[in-house]
Amino acid sequence: MSHPGMVMGVGAPAAHGAIEESPFGIQSKKLAMWLFIMADAATFGAILFAYGYVRVGSPDWTRPFAASSIVNGVVMTAILLTSSLTMLGGVAAAQAGRTSAALRWMSATILLGLAFAGLHLREWAAMIHEGWSPSHNPLGGPALFGATFFGITGLHLLHVISGAIAISVVAAMFGRGRLNAGHVETVGLYWHFVDLVWMFVFPLVYLMNAR
Amino acid sequence: MGTTATAHQPTMRTYVAVWIALLAIVAVEVALTMAHWPTPRLFAALLALALIEAGIGLLYFMHLRFERAILFWCVVPTVVFALLLMDHIWPDAYRMLHMRLLP
Repeated sequence: MSHPGMVMGVGAPAAHGAIEESPFGIQSKKLAMWLFIMADAATFGAILFAYGYVRVGSPDWTRPFAASSIVNGVVMTAILLTSSLTMLGGVAAAQAGRTSAALRWMSATILLGLAFAGLHLREWAAMIHEGWSPSHNPLGGPALFGATFFGITGLHLLHVISGAIAISVVAAMFGRGRLNAGHVETVGLYWHFVDLVWMFVFPLVYLMNAR
Repeated sequence: MGTTATAHQPTMRTYVAVWIALLAIVAVEVALTMAHWPTPRLFAALLALALIEAGIGLLYFMHLRFERAILFWCVVPTVVFALLLMDHIWPDAYRMLHMRLLP
């Protein structure tokens, strides 16, 4: 005999209301993203601590960034912060059921993210042209500067590019009605985390190494 | 923190205010760098400002302020604890400095 609320099927719980509400009060995908963010925060923390360790242990650490590099870094920071703002606009529009507006906000976020990546790659190209690499310091100081700089910024850049791809996929599927506002919010969480990491990378890697 | 999930939804006005605050903190960071403080003092100031930025981003952009308190207390202390465990490497770094092992 069936009962309202009884789930029928192989291995399905027979009792009414057998599935408990999450104690966190959020969807599983959002909780999963928070768990991933926690792990990724530990990863970035480890790489930043490693950078600090070798920097403190080096008596003649190189500080190569001229004013132009700092200005470029400030522009990149402003772009990334603005992309977080546009992502919030996308989430708000998605939650309000305004699909077109949500897609416009997410498109702006993707473009700003790609602009950040473009500026970053341009800076990398200039440094490589000057002779910098993960194993070489053209100014004669510790080669570990290049290793830590390219390692940290490279890991962050990888997160930015994969975030832009993820937002693109979510936006495309949300536009087709295959994903919902919860998915937009979840990918937005990842994007804000990428921005949050840059709040540490910029001062510790760029500003601390200004000439 | 909200007592129920998404107890309060901030407006775009709030988000814009937070965005302006974060940009202002970045400006302060750059100004401190241009002031050419001694390295330890500059590091302490930049780290403190970065932690403030991260806190503001976590609470508002990542919406943690408006989620259930249990999410905050599960996420934040765990990550802080993991980072504090890594924060014990400095005596060895200074030992390396004095031994001049790194070029």
